[in-house]
Amino acid sequence: MTDDIRRCADLDERLAPYVDGESTPDARRSIDAHLAACPPCRKHAESESAAREIVQQHRPMLRAAAPESLRARCSALSNLQSIPILNQQSSVANQSSIANRQSPIRRWLPLSLAATVLLAVVGVFLFGLNDRVEALAASLAIDHVKCFKTTNRASTADSGEAAAHWQKDQGWPITVPQTEPSEQLRLVDVRRCISTNGRAAHMMYTWRGAPLSVYVLQGEAGADRVVDRMGREAVIWCANRRTYAVVADGHPQDLSHIVDYMKSRVQ
Amino acid sequence: MAFNRSPGRPRGAPPGDSDAEQFARAALSHVDSLYGTALRLTRRAADAEDLVQDTYLKAFRSSHQFERGTNLKAWLFTILHNTFRNMRRHDGRNPVEVDSDAVDRAAADIDGAQSPEQILARGTLDADLQAALDALPDAFRQAVWLRDVEELSYAEMAKVLDIPIGTVMSRISRGRRALFEALQRTRGTAEQRVASR
Repeated sequence: MTDDIRRCADLDERLAPYVDGESTPDARRSIDAHLAACPPCRKHAESESAAREIVQQHRPMLRAAAPESLRARCSALSNLQSIPILNQQSSVANQSSIANRQSPIRRWLPLSLAATVLLAVVGVFLFGLNDRVEALAASLAIDHVKCFKTTNRASTADSGEAAAHWQKDQGWPITVPQTEPSEQLRLVDVRRCISTNGRAAHMMYTWRGAPLSVYVLQGEAGADRVVDRMGREAVIWCANRRTYAVVADGHPQDLSHIVDYMKSRVQ
Repeated sequence: MAFNRSPGRPRGAPPGDSDAEQFARAALSHVDSLYGTALRLTRRAADAEDLVQDTYLKAFRSSHQFERGTNLKAWLFTILHNTFRNMRRHDGRNPVEVDSDAVDRAAADIDGAQSPEQILARGTLDADLQAALDALPDAFRQAVWLRDVEELSYAEMAKVLDIPIGTVMSRISRGRRALFEALQRTRGTAEQRVASR
């Protein structure tokens, strides 16, 4: 394998793509192996991932609006210049996608949601990253909000296909509980959870019509916990060298029922 | 046509809309991004405005050099950074004023529906983040900014910053880490302030 990490310094140019989820599967495996064996590098990866998340979530605040006077002056400049007429055909799709891609969060994120996401990030911060489980819960709460915002909730996924897909793409198996009408449970999608650098599987369900997320991570995060801090309840448990989490909107009356249901089916 | 796939006029375009006008409009749609980036580079509103204006002047003059189908924003950023580098080289000034306007704006931008604790936590974090970003060494700040705020690809960043792509990745990584460590140092203060409410 060409991507073997022999020294910590070999990570220097590789952590950014790893944290961005843009490493090749081979590179990711090598880096995962190194991080598993090297706590200092793991800490670097976690710090960088947290910084990335915080900056990205604060984009609207960090960006500045150009003063109207500057806008007007620049616009006037365009009229003064003689611009050659361009005859060649070009890809409009690429051009227009730039504008569309620029700031999805600013474009469509409602204020209330933005506040929730922000609060979750503040949570990661104020409550400290020393507590890995708290940090994980905050990170998953963010992911839960983001993923359901960008996914058509009405779609339905096949659990067998999704599990096979995951094993093929990610190289480790998950069990995906299937749609169960009697529980009012429907599988919407299974995807890589970006908030954890793609390390977690995110199984997206609707339960009684509301979003419900089930996450599976390799390795055990620590003690079993119910974390209730971001206006969302996250139930986290470990079993068979995996960490599982259920995240629901708000505080459903009998969340424990669906948690037990999931526990009996995911392991 | 440069910005229109079909030979006809784009929908909603006013009559007489030429390629030049379309290019200008597409370029001008990035004025906020350019200004925000210029502010991070120069740290002074007046300098940032000059820089953006120079950038547009050059962009409009050399629009024929823009490769259709590539990222127009990244192209504009390349001009902006080149202009900034030249500007620095020529006047030898090294402006260090922190953009206090942005910090004030962040503090004023408060959602009335939040509790005081949340307002404080949010205001504190925003200001802390601004300060931590501003305190980063230039090379790291630019890397984190272009990647995580302006969402440029590594290859686009390599062009904009005129450095090898490996260096881009290394700077993003080190910049993020430095930023996080700076924020962690300020976190203790934030917690104390929240607790004292």
